[in-house]
Amino acid sequence: MNASSLPSKTISTGYRFADLAVIAVTVVAVLAGWLTKNSVENRSVPFEASGISAQTPQGWLMTSVQGNEILHVTNSLSGGFGTTYIIENIPIASDSTVDQAVSMLTLQRGQVLTAYRILEQRQVTVFGQAAYEVGYVFVESNPDLTHNSIPNIVRGLDYIFLNGNHVIVATYWADENAFESDLGRFQGFLNTLKF
Amino acid sequence: MPDQVCCVCGDPASSMIGKRWFCGKHFQSATRERPNTWRITILLVVGLVVFVGIVYLLDLVLHPALTGTGLILAGVLLALVPALIWLVFFYLQDRIEPEPKGYILGVFLLGALLASAVGIPLVDNFFHVQKWIYADTATTILGSILLVGFIQEFLKYAAVRFSVYPSAEFDEATDGVIYATAAGLGYATVLNIQFVIANGGVALGSSVIRMVVVALAQASFAGITGYFLGRAKFENKPWWWMPFGLSLAAVGNGLFNWLRGRIVQTNISLTGASTNPWMGLLFASVVALFTLGLILWLIRRNIRTTLAEKEIGA
Repeated sequence: MNASSLPSKTISTGYRFADLAVIAVTVVAVLAGWLTKNSVENRSVPFEASGISAQTPQGWLMTSVQGNEILHVTNSLSGGFGTTYIIENIPIASDSTVDQAVSMLTLQRGQVLTAYRILEQRQVTVFGQAAYEVGYVFVESNPDLTHNSIPNIVRGLDYIFLNGNHVIVATYWADENAFESDLGRFQGFLNTLKF
Repeated sequence: MPDQVCCVCGDPASSMIGKRWFCGKHFQSATRERPNTWRITILLVVGLVVFVGIVYLLDLVLHPALTGTGLILAGVLLALVPALIWLVFFYLQDRIEPEPKGYILGVFLLGALLASAVGIPLVDNFFHVQKWIYADTATTILGSILLVGFIQEFLKYAAVRFSVYPSAEFDEATDGVIYATAAGLGYATVLNIQFVIANGGVALGSSVIRMVVVALAQASFAGITGYFLGRAKFENKPWWWMPFGLSLAAVGNGLFNWLRGRIVQTNISLTGASTNPWMGLLFASVVALFTLGLILWLIRRNIRTTLAEKEIGA
């Protein structure tokens, strides 16, 4: 008899059932937790302005809009840079093309955002709508000189839709570490965008 | 020659506890009270509070000018101290029948390893708990119990159940609490080290309070799982016994995290929230003393009932 292991009589059904039951209860609890997470992340509130509507995440911080922005919301619970969704409604000349609108937006971004670099750009179809996708990166730094934290590297995605004499730009900004994990939720937000 | 064999060593059995057979030696060990465990528990809590006081005072008086790697190293050393204090008290008190040092250390390391390899990556990187758990009170409680509580308690359970539990060294009801506490402190140590590294070093005075709170909580709730494990080994318990014990520990763990958040937060304003970490330390000390005290009292009561039943049977 090996003294370092239980006698076989005792490692029978009782132990095995208990082990399986513990694993089953833990799996059920974790699945329930996952459902809770999904339900929290899918909570949304309706938004509508200038004929554009969307379902924005509930509980996010709504910042006052500037320039052509009609929506600017940030998840204050994100680590590092707060994940942000922006919708802009930019007027353009009636004979402008999407390419011109993209160039104009790129120039604006380059002037406003620190270390702005375009990573990729292409034409895409977003939930049945023709759009132009621009992926980029920039550095976000608190302008307060006494703030002693390292600036955040932010990845961004712009979806540019032509809508008559306006372009609608749906923007996604997230900390480089959270970009991939938060992207799915932004795509859900894009799916609710109506104009 | 008896037909039954001891459930610990497999030798011929002569006595029974809760439908489990034991040889003379292991009946004695399974029904042995360890009054020292009470002392270790109280000393652990008092020792940790004294440790907090000393570090806080030193930080206040000396203002150590640590930066970069030095600050991280100091934080990591502080993170190791709660487990060291427990180990020192444990070995000073555990002279009658000491648990093998290798087993205690092994379970501690296994708890730490499971936290580092499975627990923290699951909670932080897969479920991204910090991003959504504070959405509202109900979400905080549910997330703390279902994800944080169950994942942590299952891993501490696994660290004991699939290592020392089947061995002949696990021969006293109190062993469940002792080994589970070791696993809990291993888990707490990794949580604290991760906290230090993720923040690139921490303010020693205030962070030592957080470290001790984490250590006390992880040890206490692991103690609940250990109590259920201990009784499951020496008595025939129904299939739901262990899942119930683990669920109890997970619920306690989750509720503790939520309540601690409520207790330490004193004021919320537009510029941020102010906290009083000392209230968290007081709360964690009371919870640890109550939880571990209750567990040890239940073990003692069970042993006395078993011995009384044997006397009546004789």
